[in-house]
Amino acid sequence: MWTFGKKIVAGFAISFVLLAAIGTVAYRAINSLTTTSYAVAHTHQVIEHIARLLIEMENAETGQRGFVITGDEAYLAPYQAGIAAVDALVKELRELTADNPNQQRRLDQVEPLVAGKLAELKRTVDMRRTSGFEATQQIVIGGEGKRAMDDIRALMQQMQDEENSLLAQRASEVEGSAAVGRETIGYGTVICLLFVAGAAFLLTHALTRQITLAVSQVKTSSTELQAAANQQAAGAKESATAMSEITTTISELMATSRQIAESAQHVAQIAEQTTSAARSGEGTMQQARESIDAIRRQMDQVVSHMLDLGKKSQQIGAVIDVVGEMAEQTNILAINASIEAAGASESGKRFAVVADEIRKLADRVTGSTKEIRTLIDDVRSAVNTTVMATETGSKAVDAGARHFGDVAIAFQQIAGSVTTTRQAAREIELSTKQQSSAVEQVNSAVTDVAQSTKETEVSSTQTLQTVSQLAGLSTELLRLVQPQRAA
Amino acid sequence: MRAAFDRSFAEPPLTEHVSLQDFLAIRIGTDSYAIRLADITGLFADRPITRLPSADPAFLGIAGLRGAVVPVYDLGAFLGYPPGEARRWLLLVGGAALALAFEAFEGHLRLPQAALAAEVGQARSREFTQEVLHAVGSVRPIVQVAAIFQAIEQGTQRRGRSEES
Repeated sequence: MWTFGKKIVAGFAISFVLLAAIGTVAYRAINSLTTTSYAVAHTHQVIEHIARLLIEMENAETGQRGFVITGDEAYLAPYQAGIAAVDALVKELRELTADNPNQQRRLDQVEPLVAGKLAELKRTVDMRRTSGFEATQQIVIGGEGKRAMDDIRALMQQMQDEENSLLAQRASEVEGSAAVGRETIGYGTVICLLFVAGAAFLLTHALTRQITLAVSQVKTSSTELQAAANQQAAGAKESATAMSEITTTISELMATSRQIAESAQHVAQIAEQTTSAARSGEGTMQQARESIDAIRRQMDQVVSHMLDLGKKSQQIGAVIDVVGEMAEQTNILAINASIEAAGASESGKRFAVVADEIRKLADRVTGSTKEIRTLIDDVRSAVNTTVMATETGSKAVDAGARHFGDVAIAFQQIAGSVTTTRQAAREIELSTKQQSSAVEQVNSAVTDVAQSTKETEVSSTQTLQTVSQLAGLSTELLRLVQPQRAA
Repeated sequence: MRAAFDRSFAEPPLTEHVSLQDFLAIRIGTDSYAIRLADITGLFADRPITRLPSADPAFLGIAGLRGAVVPVYDLGAFLGYPPGEARRWLLLVGGAALALAFEAFEGHLRLPQAALAAEVGQARSREFTQEVLHAVGSVRPIVQVAAIFQAIEQGTQRRGRSEES
C-alpha cells in the first residue's frame, strides 16, 4: 500500500510531467512563433530595403531628370542622396539575404544593373553640364536608362514577390505553431485539471479516512496516555513521599551507622582492655598453678607423714597387742590365782588379795590398752580419714590444677577470641565507617532522586496537561476531519 | 596407779561386812553370761583342742591343761547356741575333770549377793541358768556350771551303758 508521501509525490510527479509536457509544447510553439516572427520581421526588413533601394534609384533618376530638364543644380539633391544610399542598401540587402540563394542570385543581377543605371545617370548629368539639354535629351530618348530602370524594377519585384512568398509561408507556419500551442495548452490544461481533481479527490478521501483512523487512535492513545499520566503523576507523588521517607530513614540509618561505628570503636577498646586483662589473668593463672603445685607437693608430704603416722600407729597397736595379751595373761593368772587362793587357807586368802590386786592391775591395763587401742584406732581412723581427705584434696588439687590448666587454656582462648573480636570490631568499625560513607552517598543520591522525583511529579503534571491538550487537539482535529463523527 | 597398788598392800585386809561373790563375765554369741568363780578350777586361753569323733554334739575334743588331758565341751551347746563358733577360752571345771569352751572373756566381777536374782526369761535356755546377775548396766544370766557338769557326766554314763549293753 502506498503511503501518503508516495501518493502525493506520484500525483505531483504526474502533474509535473503533464505540466512539463504542456510547457515544452507551449515553449516550442512560442519559440517557433518567435523564430517565425523574427523571420517575418527580417522579411519585412528585406522588403523595406528593396523598396528603399528602388526609391533611392527613383530619387536619383528624379534628380537626374530635373537637372537635365532644368539644368538647375538644385534638382541634383535627390540624385546625390540616392547615389549615396544605393551602395549601402545593396550591401545591406546582400547581408540580409545571405541565407537566400535566390535573392543573392537576383542581387548579382541587380547590382550591375544599378551600377549601369548610376553610370548612365552620371553621364547624363555630366553631359547636361557640358553639352546642354539637347545632347542629353538624345541620350535619354535613347531609352537606355529606362530599360535599365525597368530591369531593376522587374528584379526588385521578383525579390519582393520572393519575400512576400516567404511571408505567406511564415504566416502559415505561425498559424500551425499557434494551433499546436493552443491545442496543447487547452487539452493539456483540461487533462491536468481532471487529473489534479481526481488525484485531489482520491488523496483527500484516503487521507481523510486514514487521518480519521489515526486521529481516533491518537485520541484513544491520548486517553490512555492521560490515564497513564494520571497514574504516573500519582506514582510520582507516592514516589516523592516514599523518597522523603527513605531520606528520613537513611538519615536515621546514617546516625545509627555512626553510633555503630562508635560502639565498634568502644568494643575494640574494651576488647583491647580485655586482652590485657586476659594476659594478666593468664599470668595470675600461671602463679596460681605454681601455688597449686606447691600445695600438691605439701599435700603429698602430708600424705607421706600421715602414712608414716599410720605405720607408727600400727606399730603402737602391735605393742599394745603385746601389752594387752600380757594383761590378759596376767588377768588369767590372777583369776586362776584367786581360784587357787579360794581353796587355800588363811594365807591363801592373803594371796587372794594379792591376786585380786594383780587382777585389778591387769584389768586396768586391759582397760588402758583398750582405751589406747581405741585411741590408736581413732588415730588410725583419723589418719586414714586425713589420708583419704588429703588424697581427695590432692585429687581436688589435681582437678583444680587441670581446671586451672583448662582455665589457662580458656584464658588463652579468650585472649585469642578477644583479639579476633578486637580485629572484628575494628573491621566492623571500618566497615561501618565505609557503610556510613556509602549511606551518605546513598543519602545524597536519594536526595537527588527525590529532587528528580519531584521534578518527575511536576513533569507528570505537565505531561498530564499536555496529554489533556493533546486529547483536545485530537478531538478538534477529528472534528475538523469528520465533523459529524466528532460531533 | 602405782600409789593405789602400794596402798592396797599397806592397808590391812578389810573385814567384809557384806558377802561379795566373784564372777566371770563371758560372752557367747552376742549374749552376756556370768559364771561363779567358785564353780571353776581354772581359766585358760588359746589352748589347742584336739578334735575327736563323738556322738555328743557338745564334745569338741581334748586339751592339755595343767599337765592333764581333759575333754572339752562347748558351753554354748548347753545354752542352746549352734556349734561352729570360735571357742578361744576354756574353763576347767569339776575338779579339773573337763573343760568348757566359750567365745569371749569380758572380765571379772565382784558383786554382792543382792545383785543376784531369779531368772525370768532372759537366757536362751533356762535349764542351766536359773539366776541372773545384775551387773553395771546389764543383766547376765548365771551359768550353772555344776548342773552342766552333772549333765555331761550323766550323758557320758548313759552312753557308756548303752555301749556296754
